[in-house]
Amino acid sequence: MNSFDVVVIGAGIIGCSVAYHLSKTGYTVALVDKGDVASGTSSRCDAVALICDKKPGIDTEMGFTSIQLYKKLAKELSFDFEFSSRGSLYVCETDQELEIANNYVNEQAAAGYDMKMVDEKELLDIEPYLAKDLAGGIWTEVDSTMNPYLVCFAFVEEAKKYGLKLYSNHEVKAIKKRPDGSVEAVVTDKTTIHTKKIVNCAGVWAGKIGQLVGIDIPIKPRKGMVLVSEKTKPVVSQKVHEFGYMLSKFEDINYSRNVSKVVEENNIAFTIEPTEAGNFLLGGHRSFKGYDITSENRVMRGIAERALRFLPVLKDIACIRSYAGIRPWVVDHLPIVSDVEEVPGFYIASGHEGDGISMAPITGRMMTQLISNHETDFNIDRLKFSRYKKSSQII
Amino acid sequence: MVVKSDDNKIICRCEEVSLGTIKDIVHHFHCSSREVKLRTRAGMGYCGGRICRTIIEKVVQDINNEKVSNESQLSYRPPIRPVTFGQLGGSENDDES
Ligand SMILES: Cc1cc2nc3c(=O)[nH]c(=O)nc-3n(C[C@H](O)[C@H](O)[C@H](O)COP(=O)(O)OP(=O)(O)OC[C@H]3O[C@@H](n4cnc5c(N)ncnc54)[C@H](O)[C@@H]3O)c2cc1C
Ligand code: FES
Repeated sequence: MNSFDVVVIGAGIIGCSVAYHLSKTGYTVALVDKGDVASGTSSRCDAVALICDKKPGIDTEMGFTSIQLYKKLAKELSFDFEFSSRGSLYVCETDQELEIANNYVNEQAAAGYDMKMVDEKELLDIEPYLAKDLAGGIWTEVDSTMNPYLVCFAFVEEAKKYGLKLYSNHEVKAIKKRPDGSVEAVVTDKTTIHTKKIVNCAGVWAGKIGQLVGIDIPIKPRKGMVLVSEKTKPVVSQKVHEFGYMLSKFEDINYSRNVSKVVEENNIAFTIEPTEAGNFLLGGHRSFKGYDITSENRVMRGIAERALRFLPVLKDIACIRSYAGIRPWVVDHLPIVSDVEEVPGFYIASGHEGDGISMAPITGRMMTQLISNHETDFNIDRLKFSRYKKSSQII
Repeated sequence: MVVKSDDNKIICRCEEVSLGTIKDIVHHFHCSSREVKLRTRAGMGYCGGRICRTIIEKVVQDINNEKVSNESQLSYRPPIRPVTFGQLGGSENDDES
């Protein structure tokens, strides 16, 4: 009979991190995915762990701690996942944006985070190919990059050394419960795995797994397209994005940019990052289109248009490919890292939206602490699933 | 059928990935062509896998001795051929589509 201490559902970056941390602690763990490792959003995204795009408070704390954990993992894990701390640069298009940026940096600096304002001249010293008419920006030294799907592979390889069993191409179809309502087994299309503890790391599919135990997890897929450039000269040396990205990410900040219809309608904000291989990834875009991950022509054009505004040098550089991923979005922009009172033994680690890569290490660590009944690194009351029961208008 | 002496042959010209490398990865990880791509970059090059894709699929299928599930296969993605960002994002496109 297949039996494990914990069954982790979903081998994206969150599930792989959870499975690694649990295995290393000594639990017997099964990691189940309907496809291969990293076949969901974790291979269809960008590749940065940032603090500069987080809201002051628990968001930034978790982001910062996660970067520190990545630094350790890059040394500890035997599989190279292309980690480096290159820093990141936010660019402001107007003086008004610069002013909002200034307030934001002051707030973060007061909390002890190292972010610096740079003026229009320093901006060009750091990234010479940027447009000459920008107002300034924010430079964040700790911001880092890695290859997300290689991180998944690295976690799995390492966890196997501690006994992890991987069930790839196993789609979870049902979850059996005991008479007292606690979990008993995970039923896939090929086998049944017995366990007392299940962690739902199914990303945008977490709601479907929730339905199998009769709970409603309010995670929605939020699409994002990415354009890949040919290998070319270093047009930027780090993640560079417009501060408007921040403003488009949080609906509660009321600021409107002077942009074209296609950029506005598709919620497009300039972002570019170099990859280890020498290509560049360009975005960013946000929309609710269900589970659709096709490439949309209009969005591709909008991303290119916005990129040219900030980085005119791209004019003669080729776009060789596009792809799209879907972020696990929740209304209050904080992941769910929690037990579930109604279903003893059932846990959730999902809903990281645009921060899943960044937050994977700390999520795996804290989920392991939760399961072991240890105190978590942070007070994670705000990440509890029960926050959605209290009222429908929390935020 | 793939024979040993071919191992140095370059299958993915854009990313310079040899047949031997691809075979090693499939033997080691028992994985799909999609995972081969992620692990070796074969198929991620300038031509978007248009030269190497079918050979990679075939090599993986032969070694795994079974049909790789459709979902795991290498995908087609626009643009159909490389296009500059200038052409893509230029203002002359504004009223199309
Ligand atoms: C364009 C884009 C750019 C992004 N950029 C960044 C970035 O720079 N930095 C950052 O931190 N984050 C970024 N993100 C967000 C990040 O990609 C996600 O938060 C993260 O990948 C989510 O990981 P996950 O493990 O929760 O989900 P996934 O990677 O989607 O994993 C879920 C897994 O569950 C499996 N599954 C689903 N249903 C079942 C079932 N019934 N049975 C078995 N298995 C099942 C799926 O196959 C999948 O492998 C970006 C996202 C997008 C779309
Ligand atoms: S030959 Fe493999 S991507 Fe071009």
